[in-house]
Amino acid sequence: MSNRRLLVFNILRGVAAIMLALAVAAVFIFLTSKEPLTAMKYLLLGPLVSFKATGLVFNSTGLFTILAAMIPTIFTGLAVCVMFSANQFNLAGEGVVMLGGFVGALCGIYLKINSPLHPVVCVLVAAAVGGVIMLIPALLKVKLGASEMVTSLMLNYIIMFVVLHFLNYNFADRTKGSTQTYPILDTARIPEIIANGTKLTWGFVIAIIFVVLVALFMYRTKWGYAIRMIGINQSFAKYSGMQVGAMIVLSQVIGGVLSGMGGSIEVLGRFNSFLWKELPGYGWAGITIAILAKNNPIFVPFAAFFIAYLNKGCQQMATYSDVPSEMIDIIQAAIFLFFAAEQFLAKYRQKIVVKNTQMDLANQAKAAANAEGGSH
Amino acid sequence: MEQEDFVVQMKGISKVYPNGIAANQHVDFFVRKGEIHALMGENGAGKSTLMKILFGLEEPTDGEIIVNGEQVHLTSPSVAISKGIGMVHQHFMLVPSLTVAENIVLGMAPKKSGIIVDYKKAVEITEENAKRFNLLVDPNAKVMDIPVGMKQKVEILKALVRGARILILDEPTAVLTTQETGELFKELVSLKEQGFTIVFISHKLNEIKQITDRLTIMRNGKSMGVYETAGISEAEISRLMVGRDVVLSVQKEKSKPEGSVLKVRDLEYTNKWNKKVLDGVSFSVRRGEILGIAGVEGNGQRELVEMLFSLNVPDAGTATVNGENILQTEQRAIREKGVSLVPEDRMVYGIAGPATIEENVISDRYSKKQFNKGALFNVKGIHSESDHLIADYRILCKSRKQQVKMLSGGNIQKVVVARELSSKPKLIIADQPTRGIDVGATEFIRAKIVELSRAGAAVLLVSADLNEVIELSDSLIVMYGGKIVAYFDDTSQLDDMVMGEYMLGLKHQTDEEIRRVCYE
Repeated sequence: MSNRRLLVFNILRGVAAIMLALAVAAVFIFLTSKEPLTAMKYLLLGPLVSFKATGLVFNSTGLFTILAAMIPTIFTGLAVCVMFSANQFNLAGEGVVMLGGFVGALCGIYLKINSPLHPVVCVLVAAAVGGVIMLIPALLKVKLGASEMVTSLMLNYIIMFVVLHFLNYNFADRTKGSTQTYPILDTARIPEIIANGTKLTWGFVIAIIFVVLVALFMYRTKWGYAIRMIGINQSFAKYSGMQVGAMIVLSQVIGGVLSGMGGSIEVLGRFNSFLWKELPGYGWAGITIAILAKNNPIFVPFAAFFIAYLNKGCQQMATYSDVPSEMIDIIQAAIFLFFAAEQFLAKYRQKIVVKNTQMDLANQAKAAANAEGGSH
Repeated sequence: MEQEDFVVQMKGISKVYPNGIAANQHVDFFVRKGEIHALMGENGAGKSTLMKILFGLEEPTDGEIIVNGEQVHLTSPSVAISKGIGMVHQHFMLVPSLTVAENIVLGMAPKKSGIIVDYKKAVEITEENAKRFNLLVDPNAKVMDIPVGMKQKVEILKALVRGARILILDEPTAVLTTQETGELFKELVSLKEQGFTIVFISHKLNEIKQITDRLTIMRNGKSMGVYETAGISEAEISRLMVGRDVVLSVQKEKSKPEGSVLKVRDLEYTNKWNKKVLDGVSFSVRRGEILGIAGVEGNGQRELVEMLFSLNVPDAGTATVNGENILQTEQRAIREKGVSLVPEDRMVYGIAGPATIEENVISDRYSKKQFNKGALFNVKGIHSESDHLIADYRILCKSRKQQVKMLSGGNIQKVVVARELSSKPKLIIADQPTRGIDVGATEFIRAKIVELSRAGAAVLLVSADLNEVIELSDSLIVMYGGKIVAYFDDTSQLDDMVMGEYMLGLKHQTDEEIRRVCYE
């Protein structure tokens, strides 16, 4: 019973953190905007609602675009969940998304496979490359003790510039005004579920399937179990006989595979060619999402939805009012602060605990008496 | 209540920790001026919590505290110190790399021209107080070089120099030898004569009878009342503490040891401070026998256990289990040879606190065939394994899904023991298996160890609890200064005064006598 009550508390605490963050955002909006109410309206409702003369109308296109925006971030969110569960603060998801997108696009351009398997092959190659590249921070950590946080962060920029180098000097379509590759073959494109131009592709279905797969992996397999135990207490894992080094590498390789998939699915679903000239930001969003989801894969789609909604709201707000879209950074920062602050609402939590304990005490004493009496 | 001269009155104190443990429930605790007052109870009874509240380390959920007739809110140790309350913790709070004098003036150091620490003055302060309170210490020695007994004196001095008139000592004798304990008691009595009030936390009955005036007994977070020490028998105290008459002697039939399982030969280790911690350690543990290692903590026992589980690398020497090397290998390989370890520090090695009981009991066997179905876990198999272990080892919990960190200390240790003893081990290394847990769990764990050894397991028992090591072991060795200084092949006639002499390095056996422990 008490466990359930604390779960409810944790959910309420999350909601309260989000509300407070929005309140902080509102303060800034009211301080800086000449039309704060319009700004707030678009921020909070804009993503899903059209404001017509006749009133508010549900905007299904809005919903489709939000779901479409979740595709890459679900993958990066899952990737971060796995790596953070092993207590590995690997931040290279960002670079690996870009690399995955690039590799996926190249496979889509140069591999001639005239079958529905073409995108599958592209995504698998991108995933494999993503996994291999994550061996760098993982092995540096396990073999040399180098902090994966530092090496992975640096790796992002190495990946970005290497990709840009090849894009500029080897694969650029010179007939185009801006730097981009030749068009991705039609056979390699990931189609939309409903052809309505919202880019909600079958990639979304694959993402949801991976949510289930990763959740199963983390909670129902020996590898996921070992990864979680290592994340909780590495000394305990080592002493228990787990292969700590191998699992640390595995967690980061899986993170790379998922990030590489996310990047390639995004590029093959959304664009005609590869045209990213900087890091796309999905890796960073994945970190936010994993933190909101408390590293639990099942919560990842919800967190991804929330972030996508917030992004869209900020875009709408920037389009229809005088508040810049950077407001989203303030909101995200505030959510982070309240989420990360262990003591947030701790007093209230303590009250619940005291109440629970007093209720349990009588039962416990009874149980103890029974256990002692029964076994002698 | 009649008007008495109380220095401390704690009324109706309750404390609920964030993990939901009600450590104190409406506890009354009154201390008279100038007495030595024992606070007694099993581990987990709530003694430490009550004293932490009195020292300002924990805030009570409910209740009031009156010190010297004044109602106080002890929100931090500095407030408590300003009210004349000092505490000596079970685990010393000293800076090992600083000298005794520096530790004593830490945070209130005398200054030359306001900036530079006046070390000479610090030494003077230390010497003056040491003389005044009759607590002899060497002001210029580094804390890491002095023996445990002296560290404790430094702690007491530290509190006194800060103006404490009420001293709380949390299990001060837990780390001391019999001789050092005797010395401490003389000092405490002398402090009492000078008008200091001493609260003495312990669960050792003989000590309490020896030096305290009154005692308060706690059980399960509640006070069982306050008594004049002279007017209550040890049996009565024991009954009040435990709630039933416990026989703490271990029931076991005579061992019939045969064939060595563990053979350790000439193990050497020098630690990073260039101290020789293991110096030519050789012994054998045989099938069906419990070999105890007695010794004051810090004489190489911890390092020895680390080596035997490959958590550390020795400089020289060998260790084999049934002829196979166990040094510098993987824990998985060691476990596959049938070795299991009940680790000294259960919170660091023994458990993953936020994980469930189930996840904790399968940590050594989760990859076995019976718990996996193809790529996935065999969830049913794992559930039934953990339910069995919870039942067999009487782990008191709501369900297998309960977080281990929410359990009491004794139940946490039962989780560790359940895992380690249920893997059909050939060699069990039990390092402080019952430290800090209640009598019920202690008895249970000891009985389990005996049961397994009589069924043919070899057991290496390391314990700082002299009673435990003598009672539980069939034979024992004593470690001092990284060496084995004595071997007794029969523990039934051992006397703790003699043991104390070996443990303190005052006596040692001849090499031939010690070599007898190296069975083939």
